Amino acid sequence: MNKKNKITFLLFTLFLIGSLCVYFGYYNKPKINIINISTEINTSSEKLTVSFIKNEENANSIYKGKIIEVEGIVKEVTFLNNRNTVILYGENKHSGVLCDMQSNQIMKVKNLKRGQKVMIKGICKGFLKDAILLNCMLINQ
Amino acid sequence: MNRIIILLFLLTNFINSDEISDQVITRQGHVSFFSYTSVENIEAKNNQVLSIIDFSKNEIAISMLMNAFVFKKSLMHEHFNESYIESDLYPKATFQGTIIDFDPLVEGTQTKMVKGTLTVRDIAKEVEIKTNIENINGKYIITGDFEVVVKDFDIKIPPILAPNIAKIISIKFRFEYQSYEK
Repeated sequence: MNKKNKITFLLFTLFLIGSLCVYFGYYNKPKINIINISTEINTSSEKLTVSFIKNEENANSIYKGKIIEVEGIVKEVTFLNNRNTVILYGENKHSGVLCDMQSNQIMKVKNLKRGQKVMIKGICKGFLKDAILLNCMLINQ
Repeated sequence: MNRIIILLFLLTNFINSDEISDQVITRQGHVSFFSYTSVENIEAKNNQVLSIIDFSKNEIAISMLMNAFVFKKSLMHEHFNESYIESDLYPKATFQGTIIDFDPLVEGTQTKMVKGTLTVRDIAKEVEIKTNIENINGKYIITGDFEVVVKDFDIKIPPILAPNIAKIISIKFRFEYQSYEK
């Protein structure tokens, strides 16, 4: 291989490595792991649901997109749609906090009992009939 | 706008009513969409979809948060919410409709048409969706799929990304209902 070919090959390799770094580093950004992000708001499941029921727009401006820690009582644990979901009691019987747990939480979720007091950290997405939290993990469990 | 008010009234009315024996609910309905192109395939799933059926009128109401769709790649999630759906401005998609010729007392699987209004980005479109409705000992599961045309909801795709996103998006859904808690 002559000198010109070597330089071309080297530049091509560098370009390829650079492109792969950009692709994997930016486009394939890893999914959020909640453990590495600091909590922005601490609240309880009752306060969170009341806030949305009273004024959804205002509650969205406070909680939506934020990393929150919610303290509450377990109402139900479900594994519907292959998801691990913990539902916390809200202020009334019709509304609660629906927490979609990260897959690494499966063992802890399986051990939860109805009526147990828990602290869950997740990203608040908004409110339908329940406040919805994604990427959730149990704290101090 | 009027349709959204009616839908909200319907959902609120169901939520607040204590005298409901012929209504079922799911707060963990599953909706996914797929965009197939030669450049890339994009898929997103939402597992927190709210739906209520009132069997006395065979009416169905569905509501979902657009920012609760989960993508494989976080950049797709960003583009979807910030550029295409603008989920800060239009946080929810809704459907309100009627299940045609449906008898909730029939056990087993029935294939029925659901006619109604799909609202995305405050744009309402009349749709007709073929669904399978399973009734196993009073437990109802509704599944189906349909397609939506991106243009119909005024979703603007930058020309540079146009080859990456299909013009027609496939939607799949599965709702497993339970009795409305009294």
